[in-house]
Amino acid sequence: MKEKILMVVFVIVVGSVLTAGLIVVSAVTNPVIEANNLKVMKLSVLAVLDIPYTESDLDTVFSDNVRAETKDGRTVYISKSGDVAFTVAGSGLWGPVEGVMGLKSDLTTVKKIFIVHQEETPGLGSRIGDDDFLSRFDDKSAVPSLEIVAAGKAATNNQIDGITGATLSGKALEAILNNEIKKYRPLLAEVSGK
Amino acid sequence: MLHLILLFFAAIFTHNIALTYILGMCPFLSLSRNINVATGMAAAVTFVVTLTAAINWPIYHLVLVPTHSELIYYIVFIIVIAASVQLLEMVMERFFPSLQSSFGIFLPLITVNCIVLAVSLFMILRNYTFLQTIFFSVGSSLGWMLAIVMVAAINEKLELIGDIPKGYKGTAIVMVIAGIIALSFIGFGGMLKIQ
Amino acid sequence: MNLKNSEAYKTFINGVWGDHPVFSMVLGICSSLAISNKVENALAMGGGVTFVLIATAVLIAPLRKMIPMRVRMITFMIIIAAFVIIVDKFLKAYVPPISRQLGPYVGLIITNCILMGRAEAFYIQNGTGLSIVDAVANGIGYTYALVIMAAIREVLGFGTFLGFRVMPHWWTNWVIISMAPGAFFLLSVLIWLSRTITKKEPQ
Repeated sequence: MKEKILMVVFVIVVGSVLTAGLIVVSAVTNPVIEANNLKVMKLSVLAVLDIPYTESDLDTVFSDNVRAETKDGRTVYISKSGDVAFTVAGSGLWGPVEGVMGLKSDLTTVKKIFIVHQEETPGLGSRIGDDDFLSRFDDKSAVPSLEIVAAGKAATNNQIDGITGATLSGKALEAILNNEIKKYRPLLAEVSGK
Repeated sequence: MLHLILLFFAAIFTHNIALTYILGMCPFLSLSRNINVATGMAAAVTFVVTLTAAINWPIYHLVLVPTHSELIYYIVFIIVIAASVQLLEMVMERFFPSLQSSFGIFLPLITVNCIVLAVSLFMILRNYTFLQTIFFSVGSSLGWMLAIVMVAAINEKLELIGDIPKGYKGTAIVMVIAGIIALSFIGFGGMLKIQ
Repeated sequence: MNLKNSEAYKTFINGVWGDHPVFSMVLGICSSLAISNKVENALAMGGGVTFVLIATAVLIAPLRKMIPMRVRMITFMIIIAAFVIIVDKFLKAYVPPISRQLGPYVGLIITNCILMGRAEAFYIQNGTGLSIVDAVANGIGYTYALVIMAAIREVLGFGTFLGFRVMPHWWTNWVIISMAPGAFFLLSVLIWLSRTITKKEPQ
């Protein structure tokens, strides 16, 4: 019995020491990571809204050209020309997929999509984050919903050519984009009404 | 309900944890010589995976999240898994000695099986509800079972009738069989629409 | 002094070739197959695993007499997991580009059987110095195995090497080799090659 207690105590001690180390490392690194993330968010919103910027004036360009509206924890970024951008996030095949989606002022045509983070299979699923795939979404219609079809088979204006070898990752992205558009619709309508 | 059933079947076919994600390979290779051994291991895995996911879910969502301690979830999950397996071993020894003799040897191996941790991690990553977690855990484990049993079945037959080159005997031929089955499972690709 | 050198030397050769983690012991398969389709990822993963191997050796070997036998597995896992998270946080904060490359693989490192395998087989029974040698050796062995697989898979499956186009324009990519089944097939060939060359009997 004493042996069992010793074992449990040992595990707790090891766990606690390592957790303490983790907490210290986190406290030091979290602010830095937050700052990095904010910067990435700003430049992806600017990229998606097609607003040029340079490394040094990122913050000023962002505050000058983009207006943010927040409601119920969701934020929409509006450019001077009425184009909107919002973050999209969800689960890919292997891990979370995060990005920013831009819609034109008509709120149904895609302006641009930028994937900030994905963890899909390198060279295959990960290509959903590549520019040459994402550019296929430009000027496509999000109504009734975006649809990724087999490569070469895109016919209607809401269909996009997929990538061979990335079927599942593509399906995941499609679901994320459509879900987020649905969720942001009411806020978008409200914002554009102003 | 439909969504749960879709999730279950997706975990077996389109998102098979062994053939799509290539997880849980280590025991795969050592235990796919014999169907009975493979089935036994897979049954034990199914039980442990579902049990630990069912324990880890409330710990994460009802303890770690409210106290903002998500940082340590890896460590907590591992401890839960190891503890559950130890507990299971003790329970089996005491109350189910007959089961112990057939499945008992697999239990220590399960602790280090990638799948057990992976399922718990996926449930957090994809923000599953408790019910979704259960369906997903059982589905994934059954998917792993399907993969390992198919490979074991083919392997057994092959060892009896095939003339396997010496360098291929053992691990390498299992890889080839797994590869062919993985190839066939790709065909399930766009079959189910989940999430 | 001479004896110690030869002990370290033997350990090193063992990790790099004799008891090769991937080809001989068939450990660390999970990660090898999933990410070894591009050389840059193989290098990142190999580096990550080597680093964690060394850290694990440094933490476990000196404390080996203090760890109760029955909980050694959990202890290893906790140490490995904590260290991987710490490495991940550091990379995310101070070198985001590298972190983005290594990102998803961080989780995979925790499940990599090599770490548990070496901790169990070596670090718990040997001195710190030898354990570090073993860690470096296995790390190198693992990395070059991954790079060989990735080189073949990237060249045949994408026509590139480290991102640079190497295949002529008429080459049709063997997409399947960059996917899971291709990994299985290629690994079987490499295991066969390694068995044939070292003339080791299969287990």
